[in-house]
Amino acid sequence: MTTLTESPAPQTPPVDHEALARRAAARNKRRVKSVIFHAVAVGATIVVLYPAAWMLFASMKPNSDIIGNTQLIPDVWTAEHYTTALSGIGGVSFWTFFNNSLLLAVLSVVGTVLSSTVAAYAFARIDFPGRGPLFAVMIGTLLLPFHVTIIPQYILFNNLGMVNTYYPLLLPKFLAAEAFFVFLMIQFIRGIPRSLDEAARIDGCGHGRIFFRIILPLMRPAIVTSSIFTFIWSWNDFLGPLLYLKDPALYTMPIALRQYVDQTSVSDYGAQMAMAVLALLPVMIFFVVFQRFLINGVATQGIKG
Amino acid sequence: MASIDPGAPVAVPGQPAPAQHLQRTDAETPLPSPRPAKRKYKREDIRSGYLFLSPWIIGFVGLTAFPMIASLYLAFTDYDLFTSPQWVGFDNFVDLFNDPRFIQSAQVTAGYVLLGTPIKLGAALAVAMLLNMKHRGQGAYRSIFYAPSLIGASVSIAIVWKAMFIDDGIVDRVQQAVGIDIGGWVGNPAFSLPMLILLGVWGFGAPMVIFLAGLKQIPAELYEAAECDGAGPVRKFWNITLPMLSPVLFFNLLLETIAAFQVFSSAYIISGGTGGPAGSTMFYTLYLYLRGFQDFQMGYASAMAWVLVSVIAVITVILFRSSKGWVHYTGDER
Amino acid sequence: MRITRKAAGAAAATAAVALVLTACSGGGDDSAEGGEEGGDVTLTVAWWGNDDRAARYEESIDLFEEANPGITVQTQFQDWENYWTARNTEAAGQSLPDVFQMDLSYLRQYGGTGQLADLSEYTGSTIDTSGFEEALLSSGTIEGAQYGIPTSQNTLALFYNQDVLDTIGVDPLEPGYTWDDFNAFIAEASEAGAGEDPAIYGSGDYTGTFWFFLQWYLQQGEQPFTEDGQLNFDEAAVTEFLNLASELREAGQLYPTERAVQLAPLGGFTSNEAAAEASWDNFLAGYISDAGTENIHMLPMPSGDNGPQQFWKPSMLLSSGANSEHPEEAAELISFLVNDPQVGEIFGTSKGVPAVAAQRDAMNVEEGSVDATVLEYEESVAADVTESAPLPVEGFGSIEAEWMRLAEELGYGNITVDEFVEQWFAFANDAVGQS
Repeated sequence: MTTLTESPAPQTPPVDHEALARRAAARNKRRVKSVIFHAVAVGATIVVLYPAAWMLFASMKPNSDIIGNTQLIPDVWTAEHYTTALSGIGGVSFWTFFNNSLLLAVLSVVGTVLSSTVAAYAFARIDFPGRGPLFAVMIGTLLLPFHVTIIPQYILFNNLGMVNTYYPLLLPKFLAAEAFFVFLMIQFIRGIPRSLDEAARIDGCGHGRIFFRIILPLMRPAIVTSSIFTFIWSWNDFLGPLLYLKDPALYTMPIALRQYVDQTSVSDYGAQMAMAVLALLPVMIFFVVFQRFLINGVATQGIKG
Repeated sequence: MASIDPGAPVAVPGQPAPAQHLQRTDAETPLPSPRPAKRKYKREDIRSGYLFLSPWIIGFVGLTAFPMIASLYLAFTDYDLFTSPQWVGFDNFVDLFNDPRFIQSAQVTAGYVLLGTPIKLGAALAVAMLLNMKHRGQGAYRSIFYAPSLIGASVSIAIVWKAMFIDDGIVDRVQQAVGIDIGGWVGNPAFSLPMLILLGVWGFGAPMVIFLAGLKQIPAELYEAAECDGAGPVRKFWNITLPMLSPVLFFNLLLETIAAFQVFSSAYIISGGTGGPAGSTMFYTLYLYLRGFQDFQMGYASAMAWVLVSVIAVITVILFRSSKGWVHYTGDER
Repeated sequence: MRITRKAAGAAAATAAVALVLTACSGGGDDSAEGGEEGGDVTLTVAWWGNDDRAARYEESIDLFEEANPGITVQTQFQDWENYWTARNTEAAGQSLPDVFQMDLSYLRQYGGTGQLADLSEYTGSTIDTSGFEEALLSSGTIEGAQYGIPTSQNTLALFYNQDVLDTIGVDPLEPGYTWDDFNAFIAEASEAGAGEDPAIYGSGDYTGTFWFFLQWYLQQGEQPFTEDGQLNFDEAAVTEFLNLASELREAGQLYPTERAVQLAPLGGFTSNEAAAEASWDNFLAGYISDAGTENIHMLPMPSGDNGPQQFWKPSMLLSSGANSEHPEEAAELISFLVNDPQVGEIFGTSKGVPAVAAQRDAMNVEEGSVDATVLEYEESVAADVTESAPLPVEGFGSIEAEWMRLAEELGYGNITVDEFVEQWFAFANDAVGQS
């Protein structure tokens, strides 16, 4: 637009049509990529989330419309199942189940991170006699189906007087009994260049400091991943609480969940759906909050020359 | 590696350590002592190693070893949970190889592993790479694709999944729209296993998250350097992504395979504990559970468990051996 | 290399483990807390059931604790399937609860292997048995030892859905109908309902339920199980029973197995796609709730030559773990739960019709309610109940499950009746009376 000024019109540089065209092409390419990305993502989302949506809607259908009914959207909407679910079971409130699950999950995360990181560091970075065989044994613990160990394990905990406490559920976490996480962290640590360790050694650091100052911070994606999985596995763990928790005041959500459908009495499928939805919310929130930390990956931190 | 302990004699790799404190006399001309075939472990390493490993060792010895050994012992017994186990030697093992339901369960599980694992890992990797591209809404999509892993573990998934696969369910309607007339998958013995495979694949969010974490660890400079050299997306994938991702890929492959062999709850929940229809979803571990807890034959179940352990162990060893060929650890492994 | 090292270690430890396990089977800790001298006793109680039953139990137990200030009760509950996983594990660890619900099909399994306390020293004294009918009380005994006290009773019934019958325009059966009449009814209903979408059938394959075979066998004048826990029937009997429905099977007039599998945990009857189904009479509440209609009525089972010849079965019992440290208090709690009229009022017929008359009378039975219908039914068939309940053998649970599995295979056409019989007997001969 023209303005009346004293100063002369500024010199505009000659228009570089080629550069403009290139930039436009790049922009279009990005747009096309973006469209494809979103199209694929949205398509996959619909496929992936259909069952979740079904569950959500089912929790709002009256009981007679849930089984055998293939319609997604309810004809009749009801909130009664949520009332039922929130009113607890056998005198124990919903929030008790919730808090128990939460407590166990948080403690499990703490225990797993503490114990798995140190064990993984030992396997991945320290050369000590017996490392190979012990590693094989650790992997070996993954191979055995749990159903044949639960009886001896129960006898063991029973003799230790730990039945009806949370100890049988938490002790394994604090003692790195989940080889899955130890192995996961081992793989991550092995991706960290040893040059960092060596540099620290030259500065006089022992294993302790190398672990705390160098490896641990760089392991953040692995730790975040492990935390997320531990939280979720603990939250959904059913068999452990079934066998070891006798007092309903100690029950966790998965146990309470199964209480609604019993083939020998009247089953309340809607209440089970509602409770399942309520049980999912915390884990979803946990995941949504913590997955951000996966963004801040290792990338180029600490790599010099 | 050079020792930094100033007191130790300087050891040069490949040559015998000089014994500076020994005086060679003329009378005895000892042959240079051969370098011990075993590595010399640094004391600090031995101490730290076991110190760092102590929680795991306590846990293993205290909590895991006894049940594992006990279950191995039980495999050679007749144990009905109520009375003392009776030793029967190899009878259980002989019985199982002659048991048609055992063989069927092995086939069902094998089918699940061979079909389900590659599909699940493929989907996980594809979606992880998709989400690794910087776009708005990444976090939201990540959560969306992870959600199934959470729901899939819930007992209510039985009703939900079946609702999708029965007559006139969403899958059936899509089928009909495309002209396929199979009817509902749920009651159909030929399609029940595929239905469970799909349920397994639907939970791809877990390996996807691990892949994502691994992808995030790949330094961006590598890609930039490759682009400068004119590499296209396929070359970047083959020469950068895959090798850099290989430790994580190995991890996922190994663990998903092991998990697939041990799948239990999806079949238990969806078939109501029957492995039906007509045994088509009788996974190995489900059959094991039924023999142990429903038929009170825990000895037989333990034998089944250890057969499974042996099979998975062999596969694990094969995978580990092969990993030397294609897995690349940036941390300068020995 | 490593594997043999592992094996060697395991072999060496085997001896130690064997010792440990045998020691553990001999004695172990009871998981119940308390039992301080002269003070509070804590009892552990377990039951299966849904949230509704949990509420009723909690209410009843509160009453017990009020009446017995020195006793605290710690409760636990699971649903039916997981209940037995938990109990089996506890049994292996010698830590069964002081009081827990028991099912007839497991009585011999648990009782015969020494897991349950023999309550006969308490019956008649701590446990008031005056309100029991002799036959019902003795159904909880094995060779003279009282392993469980029945809480309630039930018997078989044929349920039919009048709404469905109205839709297809078929009349219901009349009491006194025979197995042939039953078959004819199913055929008629399936034909009439063939045009509906989804198709309506008369019934599912009734030969697929083991208990119905037992009922039919009783009508042949024989007990299905011997005193010492063996099978008392042969292949010919099973073949004859299975062939009762073979015409219907061949004509495709039985509710299709595929559809039943699809609708599980519901079935054809509860989805209003089948007109009739036989089951235990106290399942009426579940049927009404699942089917969404109250227009469900009950008939006795099909008659043999001498009428239906039904039996009262304890729908559930209360047992005490042999490892209990407080058998006397456990017996008191059991007595309270089966006798106290207020408890009867709290439960109604949700566990079955109460065994003790005082509890039956105390129930608030409303006209036309589920409780009323079940009571009326039991009164109406009382004359037909002439047999005592067959006492399930050890391994009953698994032979029953095997029967169901083979029935499913039969329903899919994967096996013939002869193969069914052959396979089932091979399994049963192995499974029954193992110890």
